[in-house]
Amino acid sequence: MNNLSAINSFSFNAEIDFSYLQSLYGDDYVYVQEIFATVLNEYGSLADNLEYSYSSGNLTALKAAVHKIKPVFGFVGMTAVHQECQQFENLCGTADSPEILTRDFEALKNRIFQSRQVIEEEMKKLEIFNSQSS
Amino acid sequence: MILSCILVEDLQVAANYPTNCCEKSGLVEVKGHFSNVPDALSFLNSNTVDLIFLDVEMPGANGFELLDQIAFSPKVILTTSKTEYAYNAFQYNVSDYLMKPFTYQRFLEALQKIQPSKETISTNSASDHIYIKTDGKLIRLNNESILFIESMGDYVKFVTVDNKKYITHNTIKNLEEKVSKQHFLKVHRSYIVNLHKIDDMRENLLFIKGNEIPVSKANKADVFKRLNIV
Repeated sequence: MNNLSAINSFSFNAEIDFSYLQSLYGDDYVYVQEIFATVLNEYGSLADNLEYSYSSGNLTALKAAVHKIKPVFGFVGMTAVHQECQQFENLCGTADSPEILTRDFEALKNRIFQSRQVIEEEMKKLEIFNSQSS
Repeated sequence: MILSCILVEDLQVAANYPTNCCEKSGLVEVKGHFSNVPDALSFLNSNTVDLIFLDVEMPGANGFELLDQIAFSPKVILTTSKTEYAYNAFQYNVSDYLMKPFTYQRFLEALQKIQPSKETISTNSASDHIYIKTDGKLIRLNNESILFIESMGDYVKFVTVDNKKYITHNTIKNLEEKVSKQHFLKVHRSYIVNLHKIDDMRENLLFIKGNEIPVSKANKADVFKRLNIV
């Protein structure tokens, strides 16, 4: 990992828990950028799988799909979204049918869509920051 | 001592991170990353590792099914985001349970839990080959090429997959201490077998490529344990 000295000069979006991110990656912003890039690379397929599982009406698959995308938000420091995924996963375990979850699913879907935009924006900021720091 | 490991994880970012932790620690060498159980199993059928970082929920077979099918007993650290696998983890003698994502400090703590078994790991991570002295020269035999070793009094006979036989001055008792514990197990006072080569077992007999190997009562429990019989 590369150690960058200008720790406090990078300002993350408020959605990102900086302390948590630092507990994972320390001050290595190059590696943080790599993690964000990896997340964005597989984000589409994970989100599509979630949507498909909901559309197919399969609660078990839906629970598995949200379980699978959940840690992604931990890796990028979006701990609130991570918790929301956990709550939805718990709901899947108690619901009788996907229809009951419609409102919660739509809310989570929007949250996941917006989160992607946040990650993309942070990614761009990180690219600039790291190119200037190297 | 550097441990060898593989990661079995279908989420790319969740494989990337522990890989980085391993490199950073300098304590663990990553031999491979597999995103599903069949690929990991294929690797482990011809390679051994000290440690597996194992996700549980993956497309197709789950992580525990991998542990059911491998012929040796590496240390296992579960990497999951569920707490529901505690009972299974206990059953499979899992060393630790890391909730994704985990901090680097937590990763190091998990590795420390493996340290008390250092002696075992050292034995398990023995070389992938041995040299034997026969006909006045040293011959290298890869672990995977050996079917079994048979006692012949003060000599032993190594039988290999290409049906060659090498006789050397040694004893089963001495070899038991020297061969890789991941590959080999003493099943009888006169036999050490390669666990990866066993075709089947009936009563007190093992069958390896048409060879009938007796299993003593004293060693039978160990054999069952190592074969991961379910």
